[in-house]
Amino acid sequence: MGRVQPITGEMGVIDRMEADLERALEKRAEGKKVRFGMVVDLRKCTGCRACTLACKAENMTPPEVSYNVVLEEEVGEYPNVRRIFMYKPCFHCENPPCVPVCPVQATWKREEDGIVIIDYDRCIGCRYCMTACPYGSRFIDLGMSYTDPMQPYEQAASPEYAEYRVRADGNSPVGNARKCHFCLHRLYQGMLPACLETCIGRAIHFGDLDDPDSVVGQLLATRNHLRLKEELGTEPNVYYLT
Amino acid sequence: MSLDIDRKEMNMKRLGMIAFWGVVAVATLIGLAAVGLRIYKGLGITNLNYIVPWGLWVAFYIYFIGLSAGSFLLSTMIFVFGIKRFEPIGRIALFSALIALNAGLMFVLLDLGHMERFWTVFINRNLFSVLSIEIHFYLLYIVIICSELWLLMRRDLVRLGQGEGWQARLYRLLSFGSKDTSPESAARDMRLVKILGLIGLPTAIGVHGGTGALFAVVKARPMWYGPLFPIIFIVSALASGAALLTFIVAFFGRMPKEERTELTLALGKLTAGILTFDLLLIWSEFSIGFYGAIPEDLDALRLIVFGPFWWVFWLQQLLFGAIIPIILILWPKTGRNPYWVGLAGLMVVIGIFGVRLNIVIPALSMPVLEGLAEAYSVVPAPSKAAFTVPAEVVLWLQRGAILLALATIVAFSLIGWHATRQKTKTSQSGASHWVAQVAAGVGIVAIALLALSWFGSNSTLLSTASANYLADNFSGLSGIFRFSPVKALYFPSPNEWLTSIGVIGFTLILFAIGWQLLPLDIDPHAVEAH
Repeated sequence: MGRVQPITGEMGVIDRMEADLERALEKRAEGKKVRFGMVVDLRKCTGCRACTLACKAENMTPPEVSYNVVLEEEVGEYPNVRRIFMYKPCFHCENPPCVPVCPVQATWKREEDGIVIIDYDRCIGCRYCMTACPYGSRFIDLGMSYTDPMQPYEQAASPEYAEYRVRADGNSPVGNARKCHFCLHRLYQGMLPACLETCIGRAIHFGDLDDPDSVVGQLLATRNHLRLKEELGTEPNVYYLT
Repeated sequence: MSLDIDRKEMNMKRLGMIAFWGVVAVATLIGLAAVGLRIYKGLGITNLNYIVPWGLWVAFYIYFIGLSAGSFLLSTMIFVFGIKRFEPIGRIALFSALIALNAGLMFVLLDLGHMERFWTVFINRNLFSVLSIEIHFYLLYIVIICSELWLLMRRDLVRLGQGEGWQARLYRLLSFGSKDTSPESAARDMRLVKILGLIGLPTAIGVHGGTGALFAVVKARPMWYGPLFPIIFIVSALASGAALLTFIVAFFGRMPKEERTELTLALGKLTAGILTFDLLLIWSEFSIGFYGAIPEDLDALRLIVFGPFWWVFWLQQLLFGAIIPIILILWPKTGRNPYWVGLAGLMVVIGIFGVRLNIVIPALSMPVLEGLAEAYSVVPAPSKAAFTVPAEVVLWLQRGAILLALATIVAFSLIGWHATRQKTKTSQSGASHWVAQVAAGVGIVAIALLALSWFGSNSTLLSTASANYLADNFSGLSGIFRFSPVKALYFPSPNEWLTSIGVIGFTLILFAIGWQLLPLDIDPHAVEAH
């Protein structure tokens, strides 16, 4: 008790996070709540954007929609110059400002695991939530495609929310708001989010933030961290290690 | 001899009207075709993107809701507080409120990603969402406007429904079987109108104050977030409503000439007063924003004042939409002529649209996180939802549409100008309204500038120069007053313009039909009986 486990021990960090996820799912099976979140180590991010690509491939998002992006900033002046990269998914805030503004209750924060999701069949596409998100984490599916005419790979069904929808003319999710859902369809199969699995620097960590033994719990206990725009009171569930 | 001139004048007028409605009809048809394309192709035909999710349509939506709420508040003033002076325009105010609301709701419908689901807002209601509350306000508001309007017109509808022919049949249908034309029933109607007006007053404040709150509650956008915003909305709504009625009464009022002149001038004074207060609020918003210089807020304000669309603020909103109209109304030489005052009203009505554009787009054009716009492409990929016609055709279509819109404005102005000249020759002394003519000249130059910038000339040069001048000569301020380096992340696509022109043309036609058919003027006999 109280002793901080080393982050990487006999198990690799991915293995440990998978074990964390399994524990969280067991907790869920017992009817207990979990609080899924991420801890991102900015020093390990190389700016390769494999996460953005993996997300696109996993969720089959069209142009103008990208559930995670990598922000880039140049600090200092030549010759003492450095580039900062920042992976940014949806923060799944404790007090998400995007949720109460929805006129049709098409988006909500799940009680059981804290993931903010969208009901594509309910959403009317008014985009009020996009203006209300302080982190730019919501996107509108404008019905565009990468290829013209659409190639078969773009017409395949997306596994999002395990609903397997095909983006055909006018059908949801075309015309809907879309956002990161921590790969909900993968999580409950025991798989980690796609962006995390592909991260070459192992900068992204995922798990139950309420579980002190998890990788994310231990990182937060041992390392300095910050969250974006704390002054807005949104309480994001994605932390950045400094 | 004089009869000849009269006939000539009549012919001129008729020709002008035919030309005007011809332009409107063509523009509307093209616009409605664009609406069809929008429905068929989805939101892909807009230039909206993940940084700027709301654009031209939302600006038009809050603009028309504002016009509606402004006209309605004026009508409540008349019926609830019993301001007899404005009574002749009570029905016109209510009718224009109804038509403008209709236009606003058409725009918000056009803006939905799933238009076919609009009705679910009444099933899946969310009372924590300002938008959801607003939609319910609109519903209540429509019911109040329609019933007030019907009660006011009821006796005239019954009277007009007595004859034969399709018109009489239409009036009989519209009177919903009511037959009572007695003075007692009129008194009862007026009592009901008063009660409805009393309910309507907070409703209309809710309708537009709430539309302001829609933006004011968004803490993610510092320019919107603040308690002043709903108030600005209500005041600018009142200004645009009063201006609209000034314009309508001045040029199309069917009451006797002296009465019309008197009404126009009184409405003009009201417009000028509210507009001045609106300017004060704008000053408050901008001066405090610039003084505080909180980056997110400052960047948005700087984008308005020194950005690529600087002319919307300086020319459309301030010069053309506030300062010149106020001069036209308050300068004794022009202020006594109803046509100049009416023209000032039209200028305010157009100018307030600049206010609406500057509310919606600049605040969204500042990405909420630094580097968000660069992190991921906002350049549209090849898409099946885009226009399949060549880019040049789209460009020319756009130019044609803008030309048509400008022609409409110029046609209106010319009719006004013509009428003014006629009146100055006969009624008043030959005093040349040189101030007014200079003002109108500046207005036309402003239109030309607008046109130029739409045709792709570099309109940012002037703002860059003036911003640089400020930065060079007032070094203490240079941190604040400098040219906004932000490039426009959004400008309306051809289809957004065309659909907007379609909806506006449709609204104009709807208004004209109602204006011709409905008894919107007070029956002189009824006034006598009263």
